[in-house]
Amino acid sequence: MAEATTDRLRVRLVTPERTLFEAEASAVELPSKSGYMEVLYGHAPLMAELGAGDVTIHGTEAAENEAGGVVRLNVSWGFVEVLPNRVTILASDALKPEEIDLPRAEQQLERGLNLLKQAGESVEASDEAQRVIFEAEAKIASGSGAAKAH
Amino acid sequence: MANVLDLRRRIRSVKNTRQITKAMKMVSAAKLRRAQERALAARPYARMIASVLESLRRRVDLYDERTGELAHPLFLTRPEKRILLVVVSGDKGFAGAFNANVLKMAHQFIEGNPEKEIDIEAVGRKGRDQLRRRFPVAAYTEQVDEQGQKRPVRGARQAKVELTGDHPGLLARLDPKRVEGLARGIVARYAHEEIDAAYIVYNEFKSVISQRLVVERLLPLIELGAPQIAGAVEPSAEEKERRAEAALSAGIALEAADTTEAEEEAKKFGTAGVDYLYDQPAAELFAGLLPQYIFSVLFHAMTESVAAEHAARMTAMDSATNNASEMIDDLTLHMNRVRQAAITKEIIEIVSGAAAL
Repeated sequence: MAEATTDRLRVRLVTPERTLFEAEASAVELPSKSGYMEVLYGHAPLMAELGAGDVTIHGTEAAENEAGGVVRLNVSWGFVEVLPNRVTILASDALKPEEIDLPRAEQQLERGLNLLKQAGESVEASDEAQRVIFEAEAKIASGSGAAKAH
Repeated sequence: MANVLDLRRRIRSVKNTRQITKAMKMVSAAKLRRAQERALAARPYARMIASVLESLRRRVDLYDERTGELAHPLFLTRPEKRILLVVVSGDKGFAGAFNANVLKMAHQFIEGNPEKEIDIEAVGRKGRDQLRRRFPVAAYTEQVDEQGQKRPVRGARQAKVELTGDHPGLLARLDPKRVEGLARGIVARYAHEEIDAAYIVYNEFKSVISQRLVVERLLPLIELGAPQIAGAVEPSAEEKERRAEAALSAGIALEAADTTEAEEEAKKFGTAGVDYLYDQPAAELFAGLLPQYIFSVLFHAMTESVAAEHAARMTAMDSATNNASEMIDDLTLHMNRVRQAAITKEIIEIVSGAAAL
């Protein structure tokens, strides 16, 4: 592997089923559990748990790029390892915006809200409900964003 | 002695059977190819999650310095009294000894632990059907707890070995979400001390030739990264040869595509010799990673088992096709002999009749 460009990040997004994305980029936005963060070349080594949201990869040279090489992917839960020249995202589930099934996401949101109602005082159940709601909301946000862009 | 007509009929029926087995073999070969791709695609994730967990464990103390609490309940080891056994078999038959071997291994495991209480989770229809005939299904009753919620409560144990769950159709379309549900269930049962250990019996699939049956320990996590194999059965050289033959005739590459480079890189994930910043406290990271690790081990085992099942079916159907061909040859030879004998007999009759005139 010839490392010709020195200020590029190697970004990889892996899910249990497939490697969804692998390319060089200049910056990555990540939905960490404690909020969004952006990673540039030369970031200190970091390990973080991911929540649900969009991973936005800037400045890729991938053929499929639109709008200035920005690639947006919806991920739900996972981990990320950041090294100065490498970002590896281990996502439990990841979808391209056009793959998101909006009606299903709406249903999921409803299911989550119902769960929350039933959860009562059980911490475990309401945590689980929160997770479902969070994931559904992230999917809806990124799915409807994709619909607008087209 | 059978007459020519009967023999011809038999040959025709064997030929039909051969057509069917040949078609089944080709179908299995196509499915195997797809299953193999899926198994390969699932590998980087499994390797990465194992190595990140390994590195985290090396860096972070398992016990909190101040409180002396364990970072995560899954690291706790207890004397094994109650064991959970996940048995991964196939959904369909006609795969040679595939299902029988998995079940044999499971029974050996159960007989090897006669004093312990064993719960079985059956994945795959064939294994479930057989295990259900053999062992009672655990009784659950629904009870309403203090928060007005219904939750299943397990009834009294009827026998040492019980079937606690089955998952029909899980293997047909391997849905990560459902596997995740199973993994979470197992983790919760371990954390609530319903079980002291969890094992999984499945067929490992390295390549078309190299497959073996293994019993792997899921929980407790004693060693991370390397699979915790508790027992394995290697195929004999003869079996390997058979498999290679079947694969070649179906046009399947013997060795899977070279993935060593990707695997090497995956192994390095999270193990760079630097100090990481952790966005969350270690206990939280463990809490997120460990169930995911159990999931990845389960998912990995299932993708491999599916590939192994198709490979076993392909081999079995290849053998069946060969046997049918052999049988057709034998029957044709026999039929020709019978026909020849009839002709000779008739000629003798004519000749002797003419001589008598």
